[in-house]
Amino acid sequence: MKFTFTEEQNQFRQEVRDFLRAELEAGTFSVHCGGLIEGSFQEFSRKMAKRGWIGLTWPKEHGGQGRTYVEKAILMEELMKVQAPIGYHFLADRQVGPAIIYFGSQWQKEYFLPRIVRADDGMRFCLLFSEPNAGSDLVAVSTTAVKDGDIYIIKGQKVWTSGGHLADYGWLLARTNMDSSIPRHLSCSEFIIDMKSPGLTVRPIINMAGKHSFNEVFLDDVRVPKRFLVGQENGGFKQIMAQVDYERAGFERLMQNYALFEQLKSHVRQRGKSGFGDEFYSWIKDSIAQLEIEFNVGRLLCYYTAWTIDQGKQPTNEAALCKAYCTQYEQRLNDVATRVLGPLSQIRGETRWTAFAGDLAESYLWAPSYNLQGGTVEILKNIVALRKLGLPRS
Amino acid sequence: MDFSFKEETILLKNNAARYLKEKCPGSLVKNIIKDEKGFSPAIWKEMAEMGWFGLIYDEQYGGIGGSFFDLFILFEEMGKVLLPSPFFTSAILSGMVIREAGDANLKAEYLPSIIRGEKILTVGLLDERGRYDYEQPNLEAKESSDGSYAVEGTRILVPYAHIAHEILVCAHVNGVKAEGPTLLKIHGQADGQKKIPLDTLTGEKTFAVVYENVNVSAKDVIGSIGKGATYLNKIITHATILKCGEMLGGLERVVEMTVEYAKQRQQFGRPIGSFQVIQHYCVDMATFLETTRLITYQAASLLSEDIPCHKEIAMAKAWCSDAYKKSTWTAQQIHGGIGFTEEHDLHLFYKHAKALELEFGDSWIHRKKVAEEMGL
Repeated sequence: MKFTFTEEQNQFRQEVRDFLRAELEAGTFSVHCGGLIEGSFQEFSRKMAKRGWIGLTWPKEHGGQGRTYVEKAILMEELMKVQAPIGYHFLADRQVGPAIIYFGSQWQKEYFLPRIVRADDGMRFCLLFSEPNAGSDLVAVSTTAVKDGDIYIIKGQKVWTSGGHLADYGWLLARTNMDSSIPRHLSCSEFIIDMKSPGLTVRPIINMAGKHSFNEVFLDDVRVPKRFLVGQENGGFKQIMAQVDYERAGFERLMQNYALFEQLKSHVRQRGKSGFGDEFYSWIKDSIAQLEIEFNVGRLLCYYTAWTIDQGKQPTNEAALCKAYCTQYEQRLNDVATRVLGPLSQIRGETRWTAFAGDLAESYLWAPSYNLQGGTVEILKNIVALRKLGLPRS
Repeated sequence: MDFSFKEETILLKNNAARYLKEKCPGSLVKNIIKDEKGFSPAIWKEMAEMGWFGLIYDEQYGGIGGSFFDLFILFEEMGKVLLPSPFFTSAILSGMVIREAGDANLKAEYLPSIIRGEKILTVGLLDERGRYDYEQPNLEAKESSDGSYAVEGTRILVPYAHIAHEILVCAHVNGVKAEGPTLLKIHGQADGQKKIPLDTLTGEKTFAVVYENVNVSAKDVIGSIGKGATYLNKIITHATILKCGEMLGGLERVVEMTVEYAKQRQQFGRPIGSFQVIQHYCVDMATFLETTRLITYQAASLLSEDIPCHKEIAMAKAWCSDAYKKSTWTAQQIHGGIGFTEEHDLHLFYKHAKALELEFGDSWIHRKKVAEEMGL
């Protein structure tokens, strides 16, 4: 057991910190919550690419650095601390690249992987999984992909497509076998789809924070060349399940509001006991200490999951448990923060009374999404119950 | 970051697990609780022979010179069976007091016999209000003209005081030249002390010890006068983490028992573990277990390597106090009526979780320490 980092790991962390400090000082970005979701900043991604920080864990033969998941976790932890704008490459790096490496064709590897690690133009991805009638029950997707010679014709509707309006490509799950006697999980396939394809329409959905972050995507006989099928026809669901474990649990699940936590701590330190009154201050101290403990527990879970992958193990249980835990922490954080700041927390936008640059209200508004995105807490608990604890199916 | 065990740790863990599982079934634990002595001399002897009492002590005293982390792992294993014995109070608390504060003679006199299990010592840390009062002890040791001390006051919840050769306390020494909180050893049969048995949640043998003008000689002072709290702070830090290990072990067992029960117990024509509500309760417990494991291993490992970790220790005790206790509540709920019977073993853990939550400070007290470490 070692709960400290190696010399090389500490050095790597320092490199990342130095880079981020320089970028912050140069005014490239500012620290505020929601940077991951909203920030699409190709220039920033290109700077990271030059340092080899995109595709960090990918094997070298695929243009990656072949480094460990613990190192990737160190990188992510530092990026999330300052809420760096990594939205341009985030999905491609975390999800698309590894899936192509595992399941993709030679052409897909040669075309996409080098472009993703360079953060080239046209390499922003979105995920086209959820549908109006296939949310937690993802295997119920009804979008169809019908083969017609060298192309597939896609028809259906996707929803909750984060960044769909900005993306160049979508990563799509669609039904390729319409025979209802075949089990549903053996009849879906994965495709990469050009978001500018004729017949593909992206419509904004405004979320409860008043922001346009996700979309509906309509696919009306969209023609996708066969070479954009990823992996096995009808093997898509299995591929997703195998892949999602590696991508499910990272610091992005724990630290989307880290800026808020830091501001909260320094605010309380500055104002001090006398500024709040004894009774209130003792509640604040207790609540923040609890958050600090919960955060540190989550941090250990993230590193433990990364380490498990580095041991060559499939981290299904670790990842599901970690994500379920971390997203719930994120919800509690903004609850405490808004109560410490009191009625002021509600003020949005820039006024002389706005606290924490409006992050408090924003964070509270975004909070319900954390336990939903990428698998709800309840679905994750089902996974842990069946696969880790071996409880019987309901 | 490396979450794997060393070879020797795995060996110790497996051997301890095997031994304890075989020798300490719940029925034995329940018999020991009812027994006058409050421990099993046969098992005590074997534990001594396996070197457990001397795990962290130097070889010159008959110890093994092993790591503190390994001792933590041993406590984790012991937490799974909840064997009542004076191991913790004698070989850990008392042994560490003597190692940290004692002079060469005292160490030579006591450590080898503690390690061999021949002498049993105990420590009285709580005043009548249930406070760890060693910074300002409510126990007076007034110096007499002959240089000896007259001890007045009461310690409560002193484990195994009835069989202890010596009881170690921290008293406020009121001396001619020096004063302050000071460690003393008081002979278990010294005149003027009264031992009142206390019946508690867990049934572990524990006593109130009342001192009325008990005479203690100057050579029974352990370490420097006025330094008692300094020694104890360090010792209690280590002791707290060992108790976290015990809690982790208990929690592991509770989750195991409960998941097993949920798989077997049939209601409505199917195992109750197939109901999502039960599944999610079980996952909440498993989450408490995994997180408790990480946060306590972290503290134990850092402490073992002498890396400053006040905050990590406080985080561990705060977290596992809540996690263990709440998991036993859930476990009782899932077990239903059978878990409320004396026959079933679950109540041993339910009681243990509360007792250990309260030992060395509950989650609120440790969150206060975390806050202080954060500069709040």
